Amino acid sequence: MNSDVVVTGMGVVTPIGGSVESFWEANLAGKTGLTLEHRMDVAGLPCGWVAGIIPDEVKAEVKDRHGQSNRSWGDTLMHAAVDQALTDAEVGQGLVRPAGLVWTRVWPGPSGSFPEDYVTHMKALAKRYHTVGGDPAALTGYLREQPLPPETTDSSAFPAELSARLGVPLHAMRLEATCSGGLRSIAEAARLLRMGKVDVAVVSASVSRSTPYVLSQYGQLMALSRWRGDPAQASMPFDRRRTGMVINESAGALVLETAEHAECRGVDTVHAVVGGWGLAVGADHLTAPSEAMIERVMRTAVERSGLTPNDVDTINAHGTSTRLNDLTEARAMHRVFGERMSTLDVCAVKSLTGHGSAASGITESVVAALTLCRGVIPPVVTCTEPDPKCNVRTSLTPVDRPVQTVLKNSFGFGGQYASMVFKRPANPRCGVA
Amino acid sequence: MSGVVITATGVISAAGTGPSNVLDAMAAGVGFVKEGRTWPAATIDPSQAPWPDGKPWVDNRKYANVAALRAVAAARLALQSDEPRGDDDDSVRCGIVMAVGSSASDGLGEVMPRLAAMAETDPRPLAKLLYDEVPDYSYIRGIPSQIGQFVAIASGFRGSNVAVYGEGGAGGLGAMAAAIRLLESSELDRVLVVGVQPPLMPTLSVAYDRDDPLGTEAAPGRGPFDVQRAGTLIGEGAAALMLERVEMARARGIAPAAEIVACEAICATSRARALDAAVSLVMAGDSQRPDCWWAHAAGSVVMDRDECHVVGPRAGAPVTSSKGTIGNAFECAALIDVALAVEALRQRWLPPVGLLRQPDPALGKLDVVMGAPRSLPAHGSALVTAFSHGSDAATAAAALISTGGTS
Repeated sequence: MNSDVVVTGMGVVTPIGGSVESFWEANLAGKTGLTLEHRMDVAGLPCGWVAGIIPDEVKAEVKDRHGQSNRSWGDTLMHAAVDQALTDAEVGQGLVRPAGLVWTRVWPGPSGSFPEDYVTHMKALAKRYHTVGGDPAALTGYLREQPLPPETTDSSAFPAELSARLGVPLHAMRLEATCSGGLRSIAEAARLLRMGKVDVAVVSASVSRSTPYVLSQYGQLMALSRWRGDPAQASMPFDRRRTGMVINESAGALVLETAEHAECRGVDTVHAVVGGWGLAVGADHLTAPSEAMIERVMRTAVERSGLTPNDVDTINAHGTSTRLNDLTEARAMHRVFGERMSTLDVCAVKSLTGHGSAASGITESVVAALTLCRGVIPPVVTCTEPDPKCNVRTSLTPVDRPVQTVLKNSFGFGGQYASMVFKRPANPRCGVA
Repeated sequence: MSGVVITATGVISAAGTGPSNVLDAMAAGVGFVKEGRTWPAATIDPSQAPWPDGKPWVDNRKYANVAALRAVAAARLALQSDEPRGDDDDSVRCGIVMAVGSSASDGLGEVMPRLAAMAETDPRPLAKLLYDEVPDYSYIRGIPSQIGQFVAIASGFRGSNVAVYGEGGAGGLGAMAAAIRLLESSELDRVLVVGVQPPLMPTLSVAYDRDDPLGTEAAPGRGPFDVQRAGTLIGEGAAALMLERVEMARARGIAPAAEIVACEAICATSRARALDAAVSLVMAGDSQRPDCWWAHAAGSVVMDRDECHVVGPRAGAPVTSSKGTIGNAFECAALIDVALAVEALRQRWLPPVGLLRQPDPALGKLDVVMGAPRSLPAHGSALVTAFSHGSDAATAAAALISTGGTS
């Protein structure tokens, strides 16, 4: 029997597509999801406010199908992506053993996910201040009479709802690993499968936090793009003009299973095989990326996949478009791949979508799977003036070529470093249900 | 058997540092849950969690919130008692799993209302006002794995860093289950599991109270299992458990404090179903009943009932709970309870439940420890159960630990 862990279902809701097919087509076409965020006044800030925004029509459909009262928008996006992935995998109530769930929902702050949510939140806080001031004794009584957004606590009904949908208990793990959380979730789900704890596992992540609060906080970190030109160009990984990252709202989900289980239930084609991964925590600096740690996790991922660097066909980079991250990632790539870097194609999905924190690790893994199955490496259309210091091979047009292995990177605050190899399955799937 | 052992613990609670303080308080009937403005709480003396001196700690203090202070302090307690090396030489791979929540982690509960009032008349756009006035780094300061990075600095552990919390955290046992999988899969050789519950912000307290009532009185008769219990008693805490595969501990000459027979965190359509599944999984491989049951038992009317109905008949052992003494330290409560259970097994006595006067007959047939401590056998075992707070929290966890065969 085949002991591989395979991807049998995928789902995405992103600024460039509300389905896997539309997302993929946008990636190949170089269609941007970045736009000026007109809902917020950014005057006086050191950064602009370009964001990866899910189109209104996609939002409306997601809300219509998956929205519920007192369900956070982050959870609503999660349900939408998971619904797609389960439908694609044709996984329903037929499971006989507990399934796995590894998920992450990025905290949007104390309000909802949208600018208007935060304005409402601030108005409520002002009213509270005028009513009870700093009197702690009166505060609780006041708060008891107020509505509280679902983001107030970490509680979520999502896992229980998924358990009900699948009809089995879940080995559930809600994790947080900042912007590497998506890849980390895939790794932990694959671990559950490889250890024989479950036959099927759902991995999902969502983020939506387009609020003045989050803008101000990332602005303080000097991490956001300061590009003042065409918003479509604001995220330009590995371009010499890059000035910072663009935050997005997005969600992604995968269904993983053991190849044996997939075969037993008649699944004849799959999206990808999960290879090895490398994880590490850096502690030399609280916010700056570490070349050594990136090198370490890439080498570990390759080695644990039973491969050498020469076997890697393409890199799906973290590529945030910040000055330091891209340079550090590029330098680490050169340390691992040496002279091969001149012929090794690199893609950077954030050039079109912006950065979805933990969700990016999953949506970009969807791109990795499609790259394997369809033999096309997406372009990086915003990298029109490649940074010679990075010296990374990106293309302005899709690159058609057979791809057997993709190395996917994700890094984040908290000293988070993750890298994972995906392999082309023997029975690749051409389409998504 | 998981083959994973606990080699060191660090506990900070309202009773002070270390598990023995809590056990002694429980035995003496001393409680630390003190009356508060609305809800009583067991609070930690800030001096118990000093920030380390020197580089890089002074430089990085700006990135640390109160949870980070306590996480580092608990981790250092565990490291002091064990003194393992980090993995700088790559011969031993060590990692970190955190149990700490994210909501309200920016610590701005008192700052933002004032800024909101200011925003009504301030000419600056809201984003600019927040950019200027919100204390720097507030948003990232409370990120759970940012706190884990501080633990990485304290420990030298570089293998990986992840947090498990919220719905899936089950009071820290979700983190412990994740750590065990990291060890069993041979990805890591040693894992420091660190849980923290900082003071609850008023908004969070109100939200918790809506989900399931918080206790308003810390008096005899208001504790776990009591017929007059009226809600979960709030606590603060921090705990660190050093886990490693047994052969790694033996290789460096360490006598494990306890072995983890099994630990699972399960979500289902209800808390009772989840608890049933978790307990079934951890007790499946062990034909004998545990020598004691360290229950979650936070004093909630509903949650105590669910727990006792599901676990009571299967545990068939004397049961105790720490929460009448030190309150419920939500995200890390179960990690504290594991450390207490390990210490109780080591000292071979089980302390009584705090604030318990009359056991609730509706909880079924329970052998609740009241009044005097009970003796435990040498090489005993303990079942620890836990879940997250709230009506939506349908994740429960169980762990079976043993001191048999650890020498």
